[in-house]
Amino acid sequence: MQERIVVLKLNQQQLELLDRTIQGGAAPDRVKLVRLALREYAARHLAAPGPERANET
Amino acid sequence: MKLEPGTGKALELRRGQVLRIEQIEGGQCVDFNCFNLHDYKEFMHTGRTRTLYGLHPGKGCFMWSAPPRERPLVYILEDTANCNDVMFPRCSAALYESVYGLPVHTNCQDIQAEAQREYGLTPDDVHDSFNLFMHTGVDASGRLTIDRQRAKAGDYVDLLAVVDVLAVPNVCGSDLMRTSNFSIKPVELSVFAASEAQLAAVPPFKPLASNRTPAQFRNSRIKPDRELRRDPHYEAVFTNVPIEYRELPVPLSAQDYALLEQCRRSELYGDDDGAALRDIVFSWWEERFLR
Repeated sequence: MQERIVVLKLNQQQLELLDRTIQGGAAPDRVKLVRLALREYAARHLAAPGPERANET
Repeated sequence: MKLEPGTGKALELRRGQVLRIEQIEGGQCVDFNCFNLHDYKEFMHTGRTRTLYGLHPGKGCFMWSAPPRERPLVYILEDTANCNDVMFPRCSAALYESVYGLPVHTNCQDIQAEAQREYGLTPDDVHDSFNLFMHTGVDASGRLTIDRQRAKAGDYVDLLAVVDVLAVPNVCGSDLMRTSNFSIKPVELSVFAASEAQLAAVPPFKPLASNRTPAQFRNSRIKPDRELRRDPHYEAVFTNVPIEYRELPVPLSAQDYALLEQCRRSELYGDDDGAALRDIVFSWWEERFLR
């Protein structure tokens, strides 16, 4: 399968949080941060029998 | 001092002083409220306290003030009964009239109001209370429940003032419910200075820029009359508006897209890849950074 472009719609407050997270050293830029989030989320949730959703509302 | 059934008492507690509320016979619920002694508009907020600690806060928890202040007012230094509630509102005269047909009956709203009147406050200034020695829960259907309690004679809660407060405990007025095992009994109040060791044990609170004071309010004037009238000069100044969305294109490899497919919440977002990925990003953020 080829590379896919997924377009996130984010408001200025959401972008501010991502940018502060980048400033904190989590990732070098927004795109890499999103990919990191996806991979870490998947690693955590796909390792379990089913998606862990107990803490989410 | 002994707090008699049907009564409450407003007490000035200076920072570093401890109010001990002690069972004499046992089994007595005590409603508690407090205000910033120097600004009564800052008051304890069970909602904030409940959000942080759950439904039954006890030893080691703060009682917080309401937004926009949101800072600790009181620290629960000791709690030998470990039986408190922040779900139920104070009982009121209307409750006893509507449920029991008794329009004149001891109730926490009126007791709090009468105790606070000593400091110029009105019945409208009573806020939802922190219910000490109250055994509550939530049943399978989601309804709130009250059960009999097991506080014994000599059980106590020590409340340390983190700032100067007006503390208002009252003997719960309910003798027709399980709250205090169908009776009303006196409790003992005492005030003493916290030891250095006790003060040192209080978790530090680092004030935030958003712990606002009246000096930061756009309107800090306390309204002196009851009628609400529109301010003809009002201009709305909301935070961060307009909320504007921008697009962030994220190239995903086939492997990464497969992860998205496996994790996506199709029941919420259908085939909207962007919304599904946004959910994952902020869910990830919560898991990684929220404490």
